Amino acid sequence: MISLVSPRFLQQLHRTNRHTHRFMGRLFVINLEGKIYSCRYCRTHLALYEDIVSKTFHSRHGKAYLFNKVVNVSLGETEERPMMTGLHTVADIFCVGCGSIVGWKYEIAHEKDQKYKEGKSVLERSVEML
Amino acid sequence: MGGVEDEEPALKRTKLLSKGLNSLSNGSSSVERVVGSSSELMARPLSSEGDNEVVGSKGIIKKGEFVRIITKALYSLGYKKTGENLEEESGIPLNSSVVNVFMQQVLDGDWEESVSTLNKIGLEDERIVRAASFLILEQKFFELLDGDKVMDALKTLRTEITELCVDSARIRELSSCLLSPSDQCGSSGRDFIRAKTRLKLLEELQKLIPPTVMIPENRLEHLVEQALILQRDACSFHNSLDKEMSLYSDHHCGKTQIPSRTLQILDAHDDEVWFVQFSHDGKYLATASNDRTAIIWEVDTNDGLSMKHKLSGHQKSVSSVSWSPNGQELLTCGVEEAVRRWDVSTGKCLQVYEKNGSGLISCAWFPCGKYILSGLSDKSICMWELDGKEVESWKGQKTLKISDLEITGDGEHILSICKENAILLFNKETKVERFIEEDQTITSFSLSKDSRFLLVNLLNQEIHLWNIEGDLKLVGKYKSHRRSRFVIRSCFGGLKQSFIASGSEDSQVYIWHRSSGDLVDALPGHSGAVNCVSWNPANPHMLASASDDRTVRIWGLKCLDAKYPNAYSNGNSHHCNCGGT
Repeated sequence: MISLVSPRFLQQLHRTNRHTHRFMGRLFVINLEGKIYSCRYCRTHLALYEDIVSKTFHSRHGKAYLFNKVVNVSLGETEERPMMTGLHTVADIFCVGCGSIVGWKYEIAHEKDQKYKEGKSVLERSVEML
Repeated sequence: MGGVEDEEPALKRTKLLSKGLNSLSNGSSSVERVVGSSSELMARPLSSEGDNEVVGSKGIIKKGEFVRIITKALYSLGYKKTGENLEEESGIPLNSSVVNVFMQQVLDGDWEESVSTLNKIGLEDERIVRAASFLILEQKFFELLDGDKVMDALKTLRTEITELCVDSARIRELSSCLLSPSDQCGSSGRDFIRAKTRLKLLEELQKLIPPTVMIPENRLEHLVEQALILQRDACSFHNSLDKEMSLYSDHHCGKTQIPSRTLQILDAHDDEVWFVQFSHDGKYLATASNDRTAIIWEVDTNDGLSMKHKLSGHQKSVSSVSWSPNGQELLTCGVEEAVRRWDVSTGKCLQVYEKNGSGLISCAWFPCGKYILSGLSDKSICMWELDGKEVESWKGQKTLKISDLEITGDGEHILSICKENAILLFNKETKVERFIEEDQTITSFSLSKDSRFLLVNLLNQEIHLWNIEGDLKLVGKYKSHRRSRFVIRSCFGGLKQSFIASGSEDSQVYIWHRSSGDLVDALPGHSGAVNCVSWNPANPHMLASASDDRTVRIWGLKCLDAKYPNAYSNGNSHHCNCGGT
């Protein structure tokens, strides 16, 4: 799991991206319309404001929003993760444009009152509204 | 000629089998039974000859029927003597004697006698008897007319034909023939008046009369063809010509007929290759790349490819190409930029198509070759004359930035992805819109050569096959390849387009059997995602793939001696002259 907190790391990542290719292959991206949240690094559209379910989530990087639906992300490996609200089976999600990690998706929630999260995704503060 | 040899062994086999069966059955010989009841055959159709005798290991072939259709086949092959011998030796006559008399009377033109014999055959359905009588008397009518015996023809029409009370509309037609036979003889009227041949009449009668009474023509050939077709359809790897199929053993191609070996690596692009497509005649290949160029390659007589022209001019990556119907020109599309039209033989750019304020995102050639179509980033679709004059523009949500664009072969329907999970089929004349709706995001699509089917690539790594003729129906699904970030394309290909090929993000080319959906092969070789594939329409053994590793690979058969597929089509004998050139 790549942690993108350190600015120096970010610099390195961008440098590498410029030499090898930022985009390999002809990227398939869905273009959203409305109030859009996008990837902070490459501006690829990720989600719509109207799909926010909750604004009260937290990741280790700070505030995060739970969305009904996100687009243009690829899924990492599913794993069991103990979180503040209990054990969850999650998969990290990565922006298809630049590969940066943008959040995670809830696959299975093990506590009954957490079931509402299943199928939904959290986008961390690394996204911004366009 | 394989014909003569084939029939004899079959006869012998039947004879042996019948001998065997006779000893197995409870004593009473089947021959006796048939002869015994032959006197009753005058009044009854031959439905119970051979009784419960069966041939074949599954016990489902009735011996009497089997022998009769063989006899019929012998006669139609022209072996009259052998046919008669078989009837005598087996004791199973082809037709009951009353049917034989009937057939002879028809051929001799003894119309009244044939109608009365017809009634003696013992057909249960009165309507068939009447319809058959009608046909016979109609023939009599026409023959009389042809012989200028107009009064006799009239008499026949009034008395005999009308009596039957069948098809009064036809009777009216016949009477109008009487009135003006020569006037109606225009160039087409000629056939109408002249009576058909008596053989043809017999054929039509055979179709009316139940098959147990009169065996239909070519019944044995039809059964064998059915078996061959079933074998061919069951063969997942079938990619060789039908005339190679043999009767001697069940048809089963090995994978040897599917391209699976890299024959050539085309290394001329400086960046990822995103699109590849053979021309309609299979003589050229076009590749389009992120390096902002497209390349036209020529296929030589030994199936080798060489670069013909590098087409430079686009300021953006070239995402797709479209061949003109006559194969002499090529369209290329720069992403959100412009479409360019090139001459294949000179490599010169003939025209640039652009629109102020909107970038072009796809291109397609009209089947008539006079217009081109393009999707724009503002979601509209535009139509231009070749010289660049815009003739039509369809606005509204017609296409998406990442969408493909296709036109059906009749020039009527325009296809494009209009919404995340829907493809629009737009009739440009009637403006009627139909939609293919999926429950997953659509990433690309590909139209079959006959414009009847659409292959749709989905975000969730599935490829769906839709029938777009009439009601839109999902008819097939293909899985196994990998797609998570890029546009990966698939295509139809192989003999009769019976295969589906696709690129994949795991760097392999995937090939499926179209009707069963089974994965035939996954071909490794590329060192980057395979973005697009194209199967040569003129050569079912040649496949091209375009990859992020900047190369295009040409795939062919594992064995060099691809020109002689009949060595493989029988499954058992895999003779492979690999040592040759």
